[in-house]
Amino acid sequence: MSLLAQCGYGRGGKIEQGLDEDVIHGVIMSPRDEHRDRVEKAINEWCRSHPNALVMFDPQFYAANLNNPRDGHLSEFDYYNNNSGLGRTHFSGTRIQRYVKECLDYQHQTFGGNVGYLSSPTILFDAFRDSWSQVALNMAVEAADYHHSLKSPRPLLISLVISETAFQTMDAVEEFLDALTEIDTQGFYIIIRRNSSSVHNAMESGPFGRFMYFCHVLTTINEYDVIVGYSDWHSFLLQAAGVTHTATGWYQNLRQFSLARFQPSTGGRRPRKRYSSAPLLSCPLVTPELQDIYLADLLPSVLSRSIYDGIIHNGPAAGEAGWTDEIACLAHWHSVNSLSERLSALPTQRARIEEAENLMQNALTLYSQLSSQNVSFDPSTGPDHIREWQDSLQEFRALAGLS
Amino acid sequence: MAPNPTHAGDQNRESLDDVTSRAQREVETMQQCSTPYLVRMGPIGLNTACVEGDPIIYFSEEFVEGQNLHSYLHSNGVFSLSELVCLALHISEAIKAIWQFAKIHRDIKPGNIMRRNDSGDFVLLDMGLVFDLQDEPLSVCPVGTPYYFSPEQMDFNNRRSVMNFRSDLFSLGIVLYEMATGNHPFIQGATSTWDVLGNIANATPRSPEALRPGLPENLSSIILRLLAKRPALRYRSIDLFQRALREVETERAAQ
Repeated sequence: MSLLAQCGYGRGGKIEQGLDEDVIHGVIMSPRDEHRDRVEKAINEWCRSHPNALVMFDPQFYAANLNNPRDGHLSEFDYYNNNSGLGRTHFSGTRIQRYVKECLDYQHQTFGGNVGYLSSPTILFDAFRDSWSQVALNMAVEAADYHHSLKSPRPLLISLVISETAFQTMDAVEEFLDALTEIDTQGFYIIIRRNSSSVHNAMESGPFGRFMYFCHVLTTINEYDVIVGYSDWHSFLLQAAGVTHTATGWYQNLRQFSLARFQPSTGGRRPRKRYSSAPLLSCPLVTPELQDIYLADLLPSVLSRSIYDGIIHNGPAAGEAGWTDEIACLAHWHSVNSLSERLSALPTQRARIEEAENLMQNALTLYSQLSSQNVSFDPSTGPDHIREWQDSLQEFRALAGLS
Repeated sequence: MAPNPTHAGDQNRESLDDVTSRAQREVETMQQCSTPYLVRMGPIGLNTACVEGDPIIYFSEEFVEGQNLHSYLHSNGVFSLSELVCLALHISEAIKAIWQFAKIHRDIKPGNIMRRNDSGDFVLLDMGLVFDLQDEPLSVCPVGTPYYFSPEQMDFNNRRSVMNFRSDLFSLGIVLYEMATGNHPFIQGATSTWDVLGNIANATPRSPEALRPGLPENLSSIILRLLAKRPALRYRSIDLFQRALREVETERAAQ
């Protein structure tokens, strides 16, 4: 498994540097955040300059049925602009055929064989038994059918955007999986809509355990490729469940997907600088948290062993000015990717699950050690999310019969 | 050639139209599918006649010289490993041939599978209950042989429960389990058909390997996977199923 960059506003040179430094292995491009000509140019350039990278285009069609979405540059894309402002009555069979055709034709004609996959258009749904989920399924089936007729050189990923609340009920998850696995396609591109967005905000253990199972059934059992967007720190657990690729970006809204991204901005202050610690499975604030760890003489135990560590090695407070947003992003990718690579090197799913458990247990031990040295953490950095993940993994193991 | 007469008057619940429609489907399916693992049409096409005032429908099927698996199991016992793999490959090929036309068999059981005396090939018989997903259902009641039902074959609560070939794979899983172990996977502890149906819906069968020591673990896992309660946990294509079977063969050959 490998980590992909989830693109958004303010790309700069991060993607090229991340690909060059091997901390990401591909890119998911978001048309909402850049002019169409820049999107097309960037995708074709990445494909040329990094032929082994997996580059794909997220059509973000799901914004088309949101209420007055802040959809940025999406209106520059005909497949979206011709079809935005959609209500429940705008998803007849004929209309769905048109949305699918326009979206896949655009990718096929513009990117040809350059992108790793074509991605189908979809809409967001909140529950597996609501009428929108049926629309999403109809769009998926139509996309698979149309892709077969397209004779594209690239395989198809069926896109799904699902609210985390949909995973409250297991029966509904299983019914949906039965329907989904009837589709003849290469795989799925899945985004989980989170209810809130904070630095960690681990999904609730039950729904996340069931989402892991959902991914396991698609990948390990049914041999589909599965890419989970906006997965961030959840990546190593999804890797244990069998997911093919995960993705994360630089801003918080590129690390977790929420509808706030499509709603009017409420402003807000510049986020405080953080360091992504693979051993802690979290992002402590550079000051005071990382500085306190340094003063407790425990800094080496939380470092992710990346080439960027030199900046803060002689004191995070002193190095904070050099810890730029771009460096922080690359260091974050390094940390998330290093965990995934550690798991993917293992030969069996059981071994990967055990390694994920070890990573979490080691992180909790480290938190205890830091606590005993009077290092305190903000709730958004603290270890609660790890306990939630441990419960998720137990839930997943039970569901998948891997206990 | 084997004549296949159906007395419409014998049917308590079905109208003549239903019987005719089923016979038409059976004939149509045999004509559409060209695999050697499905029984073929004989020289007499679908006809009707009147015998002693009762209308009958008749047509002929190929005469298969051999033994059905139900009687084979009683007279000869369980299959060898290579016979099991061969059975799974042949009948899955028949399921695939039917599914190419968006149809499912719905009545796969030992009594409906013959082994040809000449070639040893397995042949799936009796397309009378074939269900066409693109056509109107002929019955609102579950049809088939209850002991070989898939869980979704009797589930009317699940609104997404449109059956597909994975239902036939479940029934094939029961047949393979029986031919591997001599036991039906869902009969243990059952005292009635309802108990068996309850077990099909809820009980986890014992591993075939536990009942037949020496059966390769991977073949045992394949059979159990066919018996998964949810279609999503079986195989999403016949090709994937057959690939898994060939891996069993390859491993066996390497030993």
